[in-house]
Amino acid sequence: MEPEDPFERLKSMPPRGHHALLGIYHVAAGADWAELACPFSAGFLMDAGVGLVSSGPVISLIDAAAGAAIIARTRRWEPMATLDLRVDYLRAARPECTLHARATCHRVTRRVAFTRCEVHDGDPANPVAFAAASFFFTSEP
Amino acid sequence: MIERAPYAQLLGVREWTDAQGNTGLVMPASPALEGRQGFLYGGVIGSLLELACLAALAGEGEVAGERPRPINITIDFLRGGLMVESYAQARIVRLGKRVVNVDATCWQADRESPIATGRMHILRA
Repeated sequence: MEPEDPFERLKSMPPRGHHALLGIYHVAAGADWAELACPFSAGFLMDAGVGLVSSGPVISLIDAAAGAAIIARTRRWEPMATLDLRVDYLRAARPECTLHARATCHRVTRRVAFTRCEVHDGDPANPVAFAAASFFFTSEP
Repeated sequence: MIERAPYAQLLGVREWTDAQGNTGLVMPASPALEGRQGFLYGGVIGSLLELACLAALAGEGEVAGERPRPINITIDFLRGGLMVESYAQARIVRLGKRVVNVDATCWQADRESPIATGRMHILRA
């Protein structure tokens, strides 16, 4: 029997922890990228009165998508930690809209993986955020 | 004011003030905040830092009709966050008329061993 592909394993894992709280799900993937999404929830609001969506869920969705993109590229199941994450908020996300994050892993070294990510809330041509994140493989050599 | 935000309530974030008058945020651990087994989700730590920055600005006194907007945030993850209570405190580096620069630190049991730091630009609009 073929060994199970780590990315297929990631896709088929039932959501747990914070992924489950946000409702994060898998949308699509390629050789070095992954797209995840999470549906709007009233709990994402910063100010319910004016319908202002918090950028917090955007950060978590980026972290998830970037991690998935690394596994899509490496096809390895290695423990890793986020080193740093920078997010540019191009505009506020609209309430009631599903957030999509498409991350690309553009470089992997023995120890570090570099990713970029775009977030939109329905129209990829009108992004909500751009991000760059790097990750460190934590296992001993 | 931050703890009234639905998103802060989703994370279980509350405000604290110590005997010296310092203020910040605290977030109890919960299974809904977990990433890989036994560790706090990185995105949640980043969100706590961001909320602390916004709370620090709100603490400067709200201008009527002003709705601060995040421009960007940079987060450095220093240590894995354990499934215990997390604290965050932010410091306003520069309070401009249009743009505010804020630094924030997140720690758990030991304040001298932060688990993450962040820097944020906020637009006053």
